[in-house]
Amino acid sequence: MHGVRRARQTQEALEAKRLKDQSKLRDYLALSDDVLARKKQKDWSREALRATTQLLQVNPEFYTIWNYRRHILVNGIFPESTPEQIQDLLKDDLSLTMAALKIHPKVYWIWTHRGWCLNNVPSGPGVDGEGDPRGWEKELWNQELFVVEKLLDADPRNFHAWSYRRVVLASLPVSKPETSELAYTTRKIESNFSNFSAWHQRSKVLSSLWSTGRLDQTKSKEEEFDLVQNAMYTDPRDQSVWIYHRWLIGSDREIAVIQSLLEEETHSKWCMESLVHYKRLLLHNHAALVDKSALTRDCIHLLEQLRKVDPGRRARYDEIEITRL
Amino acid sequence: MSHETNPLLIPLHVSYIQNLGKNKNDLIYHLTAHLRMNAIYWGLTALCTMNHREALDRDEMIDYVMSCWDEETGGFGAHPDHDAHILSTLSAIQILVTQDAIGRLDIDRVVKFILSLQQPSGVFAGDSFGEIDTRFSYIAVNALSLLGRLGDLDVEKTVSYIAQCRNFDGGFGSRIGAESHAGQVFVCCAALTILDRLDEIDTPTLSWWLAERQLPNGGLNGRPEKLEDVCYSFWVLASLSMLKKVHYIDSDKLISFILSAQDPEGGGIADRPGDMPDVFHTHFGIAGLSLLGYPGLVDIDPVYCMPAALIETLGLRKGWQSLERRMR
Repeated sequence: MHGVRRARQTQEALEAKRLKDQSKLRDYLALSDDVLARKKQKDWSREALRATTQLLQVNPEFYTIWNYRRHILVNGIFPESTPEQIQDLLKDDLSLTMAALKIHPKVYWIWTHRGWCLNNVPSGPGVDGEGDPRGWEKELWNQELFVVEKLLDADPRNFHAWSYRRVVLASLPVSKPETSELAYTTRKIESNFSNFSAWHQRSKVLSSLWSTGRLDQTKSKEEEFDLVQNAMYTDPRDQSVWIYHRWLIGSDREIAVIQSLLEEETHSKWCMESLVHYKRLLLHNHAALVDKSALTRDCIHLLEQLRKVDPGRRARYDEIEITRL
Repeated sequence: MSHETNPLLIPLHVSYIQNLGKNKNDLIYHLTAHLRMNAIYWGLTALCTMNHREALDRDEMIDYVMSCWDEETGGFGAHPDHDAHILSTLSAIQILVTQDAIGRLDIDRVVKFILSLQQPSGVFAGDSFGEIDTRFSYIAVNALSLLGRLGDLDVEKTVSYIAQCRNFDGGFGSRIGAESHAGQVFVCCAALTILDRLDEIDTPTLSWWLAERQLPNGGLNGRPEKLEDVCYSFWVLASLSMLKKVHYIDSDKLISFILSAQDPEGGGIADRPGDMPDVFHTHFGIAGLSLLGYPGLVDIDPVYCMPAALIETLGLRKGWQSLERRMR
């Protein structure tokens, strides 16, 4: 369990709660026993489906019942249904999982079932020559993009939602261009620079756009450095930006960019730590072009300051000084 | 040492774990049946680390594990009549190995079940419904290794998928494209350690990212800008152990943080100070303390999260480093 405060309760209060829970427990066990008995008998009926709905609403983490529900649909109900009816049944399950996700946005089993629904959308409504046979798929996948955006608005760091978003983008019958996803990450970052999940997504989208030549890497990097520097000035204590910046620099040996960072005046631990990193890069990669003893002195001085402002991580700063200057 | 003023309350945690199975009249006990196999593994391993494994009955435990065997699929569910899943299958195997009862297992069938879950991409699914996650890759590698059947695994395919999960920050996510998270970093590092493929890790960058998980209150978080949580004391520390960088963390502050998350009345450890304890955080808090060299605890193997002496006896110990055990 996470984030549940310990409450000091009196014996009376505990007993009262236990009594109240007794009837809940009886009901729960009766329901659970009934559903598991039906499962054992391979009951694939609509009544069984309703029973699983009830149980999953009480306990959406009961993974065995999500499995059973899928078996009921696939073995019992779908074979007797028209494509339209299957589509409606899946929409019911999308509603069921949506309601569950609003209360439990981080339960793996719910996300998995939602993905399963999308992967089982039948062809329709059109058939050969008459309308779009992927119409239902398109409708539902486009809706998923909207749904996951809402969930990411509620919690921009929910990694289940981000993973699901990537699945949705890959599954859209008509793909969206990656530049539009780049714009999405820009929106998320501009609304909160501390959104590491958005920076991470950005690193993936850019890597793909650069490696396929769809975006000119040099020009794009210039824009990235502008974005990052803006974020650094807004809040130098935010680590997302520094980690992202290191990745940008790491794949590029442009001295000028490193030199301009050396003129930074902030005294944040992140700035010092990054300066040590970049000066070491200069020492190792551009030795012929720099004043080695001055840079080494700078690093030693910065490491001394780092040991003062960030004493918990001094062992790492010691190691850098001893082994890697 | 200041920890004498707030010590690890071992007898209290032992009785906390013993009492877990006695709550059959509590609603929450039944609502968490889907975690039971995992919970027993967490409780047993915590007891081993506190040197009190005898506190839970061995035969009862083994009987429970075997009652969760799913004859149709060849794996274990979390509870009798629950479907087999790779998560509960690993916990079952770990319990049987720890209790020296591996003879109860149909090894060929379990191996077949695990291998059947590998996808063409190299990742593993959790069950036949196909949810994929690098956690399941680690589980497969760990389980096959404990069963002496690593030779049956397509190692290249397994490693190749994990390598594609490596991110710009040196960390790993749950699947290709996913954000780095300390739990996923742990499973990927541990899988690569067992397979002797630490070359796939950017150690300087990852050990930096891991070091930066420590917050001013001494606790560790799982990702940038998230809250501290006792369970990261294990995920992060174990990863650093495998990279031989445990010294990157301020151990005194982390020890104090874990100890302050204890429930001094009922026992057990919570995710953070003042919260309700549970067996999951109790186990990982104690495991973290063991890796930090807390006195009086038994060594734990960070790769398998099982008693280190046992893993060594099985010939499975890898080149990880934890902090020296302190004397009182």
